[in-house]
Amino acid sequence: MVLEATMICIDNSEWMRNGDYAPSRFQAQADAINLICGAKTQSNPENTVGVLTMAGKGVRVLVTPTSDLGKILACMHGLEIGGEMNLAAGIQVAQLALKHRQNKKQQQRIIVFAGRCAVIACSPVTHDKKALEMIGKKLKKNSVALDIVNFGEDDEGKTEKLEALLAAVNNNDTSHIVHVPAGPNALSDVLISTPIFTGDGEGGSGFAASAAAASAGGVSGFEFGVDPNLDPELALALRVSMEEERARQEAAAKKAAEEASKQEKGGEEQDATMTERASEGTSEADNKKNEIADDDNTLLQQALAMSMDEPTSSQDLQDTEMSDAAAEDPELALALQLSVQDSTKDSSSQADMSTLLADQSFVSSILASLPGVDPNDPSVKEVLASMQNQSEPQQKQGEDKAPKKEEEK
Amino acid sequence: MSAADSATAIQRNQVDLLDFIDWSGVECLNQSSSHSLSNALKQGYREDEGLNLESDADEQLLIYIPFNQVIKLHSIVVMGSEEDGPKTVKLFANREHMGFSNVSDFPPSDTAVLSPDNLKGKPVVLKYVKFQNVRSLTIFIEDNQSGSEITKVQKIALYGSTVETTDMKGLKKIEDH
Repeated sequence: MVLEATMICIDNSEWMRNGDYAPSRFQAQADAINLICGAKTQSNPENTVGVLTMAGKGVRVLVTPTSDLGKILACMHGLEIGGEMNLAAGIQVAQLALKHRQNKKQQQRIIVFAGRCAVIACSPVTHDKKALEMIGKKLKKNSVALDIVNFGEDDEGKTEKLEALLAAVNNNDTSHIVHVPAGPNALSDVLISTPIFTGDGEGGSGFAASAAAASAGGVSGFEFGVDPNLDPELALALRVSMEEERARQEAAAKKAAEEASKQEKGGEEQDATMTERASEGTSEADNKKNEIADDDNTLLQQALAMSMDEPTSSQDLQDTEMSDAAAEDPELALALQLSVQDSTKDSSSQADMSTLLADQSFVSSILASLPGVDPNDPSVKEVLASMQNQSEPQQKQGEDKAPKKEEEK
Repeated sequence: MSAADSATAIQRNQVDLLDFIDWSGVECLNQSSSHSLSNALKQGYREDEGLNLESDADEQLLIYIPFNQVIKLHSIVVMGSEEDGPKTVKLFANREHMGFSNVSDFPPSDTAVLSPDNLKGKPVVLKYVKFQNVRSLTIFIEDNQSGSEITKVQKIALYGSTVETTDMKGLKKIEDH
């Protein structure tokens, strides 16, 4: 619920005609912007959002920061595509627009859609990087946060320059960069699960969750397969039984801690992915990716198992169990599998990942080395506590998230 | 003479204005998140030599202090180390929400160039006439003693007196007899 004034910088250069993001890059941007505006105004009614375009004849402010959503949506109509994007000028004009916001108590934030940056001029990477770092420093000095959405092609070391810019601006993790590769997923869907929407872990997730449901229709991607908006009591009941199950498992998993060192290699991956998954919150995008990459995961699990001299048979068994259940209700599958594990007393496979994860100090050290993860963050601590209980379905979901997350970060 | 003056002035009727600072509106631009303004302003923290206010991206700092009543500002004490302590300090009275871009737009109410003596605790006496009706104070630290990238301030103390204004929070309803 942070009180914020946001300026969104749109890339409306010629390259936005490209259709590699459905239906066209420009349309994808427009959809994403509509969602962002909605999320911001919903999370705090006093938030204001403004929009400017960076390409065309020059940087042009379409609407100054306002809380009137209709005005913002209206100005997105009739925008023309053309010219080349000027990132530096765009950011500076955005900063100026924020400086003259009406409510000085609002935090300042700029969201940049970087499709195809000529940046300053077609000069070597180092020169641009320096210039961008100067801009970043100035933003940090004036306590302006910056979110960058990196999409489109990566020529002239664009990603590198944007990362440098983010590093210069970033103050306490208030600024983020998201890399969106071209693909079947809509730009807005990908953004929903990022901190740009969820606002550093609080706020907009409620809006984001319902937006995800609206945009995708059909399959509900919520935790437990129930939309908390439609049936809050059922969702709550499922969540509570899940927590109870975890608490029970926690006690069981704690006793197998000494097998931690054996599982080091595999566990490391699991930790990283676990944390990232937890810090995002639930979203439909998660589950969609799960279904797609299920085969890869099975193979990956087997490879892991082989490298760890674990009995592959037990893992395969678990894999097949999981693939059935994991399609729609991963959490339910987890509960099922945990109870199966318990009854068979298969301590070796239980010890597989969960024991390593039970080793708190090891996990903390791994987390500390991850970029963008603060081990003292309460949500991370929460995950740590319940981490022993995560078994393969969680890990599987986590794993195909890992390559995605590495990319985004 | 000025040293004796300031010393006696502080004893006479100038008080430490710490109690009149409106903490909810205090802001500091370009401070490092781990070394924030409280380390220099707040009672207890400012006496601790290990706790400093440090700048972040470069050596400048912009501090905005609103007061909960109108005050007259007599002198300030800025303490810091000999190398990283502030050098040029500009004070603006009653200017809200300044940014680094408009510090040069209007002249400061007073400018102080700090000597090593000042950094050890000797107060800087200000142009009292310029600070007769101060509702908020902006302190712009332009550079530091050695020209390094980070400016460190150990303590900032303001001395002055209040104008007899009503503190609205202290108003109590008169009981009907």
